Amino acid sequence: MTNMLRGALRRIALLPLACLALLASLDVLAHGERAQEPYLRTRTVQFYDVQFDRAKIAVNEEFTITGRFRLMQDWPDAVSLPETVYMSAYSPGPVITRVESYVNGVPARQSFADFQLGRDYEFRLVLKGRVPGSHHIHPMLSVKGSGPLVGPGVWIEVTGARADFRHEVKTMTGETIDNLEDYGVSRALGWYGVWIALAAFWLAFWLVRPLLIPRWIALNKGREDLLVTRRDLMVGIALGITVIGLTLGGYAYARKSYPYVVPLQAGTSKVDPLPAQTSTVQVKVLDATYDVPGRAMRIKAKITNTGSEPLQVLEFTTANLRFINRQAPGADKAVLAGSPTDTIARGGLVLSDASPIGPGETREIALEASDVLWELERLVSFLTDVDSKFGGLLFTVTPTGERQHTEIGGPILPTFTQL
Amino acid sequence: MNSTQSASAAPSAGDVVSGSFSPVVQAAGLSPAAARTSRLFDLLVVIAVVLLFTGAIHLHTMLLAGDWDMFIDWKDRQYWPLVMPVVMIMFPGALQAVFWNYFRLPIGATVGAVCLMLAVSITRPMQFMLWTDYPLNLVLPAQMIAGALVLDVMLLIFRNALFTAIFGGFAFAFLFYPSNYIILAPYYVPAAHQGMMASMADLIGYVYPRSATPEYIRIIERGTLRTFGDSASWVSALFSGFICMFMHYGWWKLGMLMSSATFLPNNRKVMAMMGVKADQKTAG
Repeated sequence: MTNMLRGALRRIALLPLACLALLASLDVLAHGERAQEPYLRTRTVQFYDVQFDRAKIAVNEEFTITGRFRLMQDWPDAVSLPETVYMSAYSPGPVITRVESYVNGVPARQSFADFQLGRDYEFRLVLKGRVPGSHHIHPMLSVKGSGPLVGPGVWIEVTGARADFRHEVKTMTGETIDNLEDYGVSRALGWYGVWIALAAFWLAFWLVRPLLIPRWIALNKGREDLLVTRRDLMVGIALGITVIGLTLGGYAYARKSYPYVVPLQAGTSKVDPLPAQTSTVQVKVLDATYDVPGRAMRIKAKITNTGSEPLQVLEFTTANLRFINRQAPGADKAVLAGSPTDTIARGGLVLSDASPIGPGETREIALEASDVLWELERLVSFLTDVDSKFGGLLFTVTPTGERQHTEIGGPILPTFTQL
Repeated sequence: MNSTQSASAAPSAGDVVSGSFSPVVQAAGLSPAAARTSRLFDLLVVIAVVLLFTGAIHLHTMLLAGDWDMFIDWKDRQYWPLVMPVVMIMFPGALQAVFWNYFRLPIGATVGAVCLMLAVSITRPMQFMLWTDYPLNLVLPAQMIAGALVLDVMLLIFRNALFTAIFGGFAFAFLFYPSNYIILAPYYVPAAHQGMMASMADLIGYVYPRSATPEYIRIIERGTLRTFGDSASWVSALFSGFICMFMHYGWWKLGMLMSSATFLPNNRKVMAMMGVKADQKTAG
């Protein structure tokens, strides 16, 4: 019994250590991007050609994320339309800072209005290292009414010292600010100190005297004249005049010190989508199943080549997962330098017939996208969705390397037993 | 007054002395020992009031004003001077009622303002700087001490809830914008960024990413008040002052209601509820 007690106490004593270990490991955890519902990730925004130009930077060094995304035509009813969106990077707090951001070359500091479904957009995010550590960074499109829709991420290692971080800004009035994060802080703390000092004086003026019980009894005895005297009134009026004078005088001084000020800048920008590609591929999904024990999505599709060159299926991508057909021309170049690799399926995309589809030919092909990533990325709750459909982009490629992508999707049936 | 004065002599209004020889203590009829004990009681109440209201006012402000008080790039000319005083006057109004009505202490609003300042002085550095690494200038809070002091002085002058609400409530709101502009003016200096103009506050909000706070959720000068151009903040301050008159009076009444003790009549029904039998003798 004593041993049991000792064991229990030892375990309890280890609990704070376990908590400390968890806290210490927090900086290597990701930030919940897998928690989003599958329908949000498979049927809203499909990121592709995402590249990070660097994986290791020092504090104050910049890195760039570039890429494209397609807003799916089959946008779920449960998600607000992308009428107001904001393009940004998803990071665990301000471990990195934003330097510049663009969508189709238009500055993305403010939000955008009226993105179009079924169209593509290109983004560029310039970011800077701030807090040393290994941080999982993603591109992200926030949609008003729906929340953040996260693209593929990579681990960025930031080296150096946090104290070395600087963000220099030059104002339009010609002032150079050495470090944005210290700007105006000492002035603010000084003024807080002034107001706190006045409040402390007023409180001390009353609190040093006998307080609650004596005042309550005296008041009940009708001796209000003792509780608030003429001197109290005079001090109060003097304080009131001081406060009003300080407020108005300080305001006038601030206006004089900062003669050129502007209101907060808000409002939305508009940007045209990328020019629509000339499509020479038509894809019709005949049926789709998700094999629960086999962790495989199987799609039967009728693909028509309306172009003048033969084409092959190159890749199926959905919710940042990439299934690449290794037999297609250019498959070895499908993964661009600096692209996230965590979500590339090792097994690739398996086709029932991988031979090229000739010009004018229509072929029925079965595609199998099988990988444990469906589970790891928590994308298998087709069974619990109110709208059990899938979506994704199917990339095709010609022998000359011309790549096209076509949006595919439709209802999906789960199968619970090994077929 | 000196220490040799008889305790039974009637104290006058001009006598203001701390401690056991205070005319207030004499008028209350407390012995020196009782006066010392009451001072200990004062200390305990002050600690309790500070702890309770620091938490309560902070929670209240965060729930009702939220991001307007939290972030520098939310403090616009239109909604910030309107929303913040209306939210902030509630607890000061109620506290004024309690402190004035029972103790004739015109410090309720200042107590509320200082409690909120104490709370944000703890939470902003802890939550944002130490825990999540945001710079302090992103989360500089508004202060309401200037307005609260004037509100307390108005109560001292008028000694009346209605007039305090009319003049003090208005002054509380009207002084909010200029007394905070002194602190925040540098953040409205313009800078060019990506070929667009941004205030320094906008820039701070942009540079330090808040992943779950996209730019579009800010509520910045939406509506037709912008037709007043540069004067939008003063129009907002005036309207806020008007609203604060009613808010103050309402919360004064609420403070009175919440601080009044009521007793259930000691009748048979209540006794039965408490498990006392009808034939049992009870005191009182």
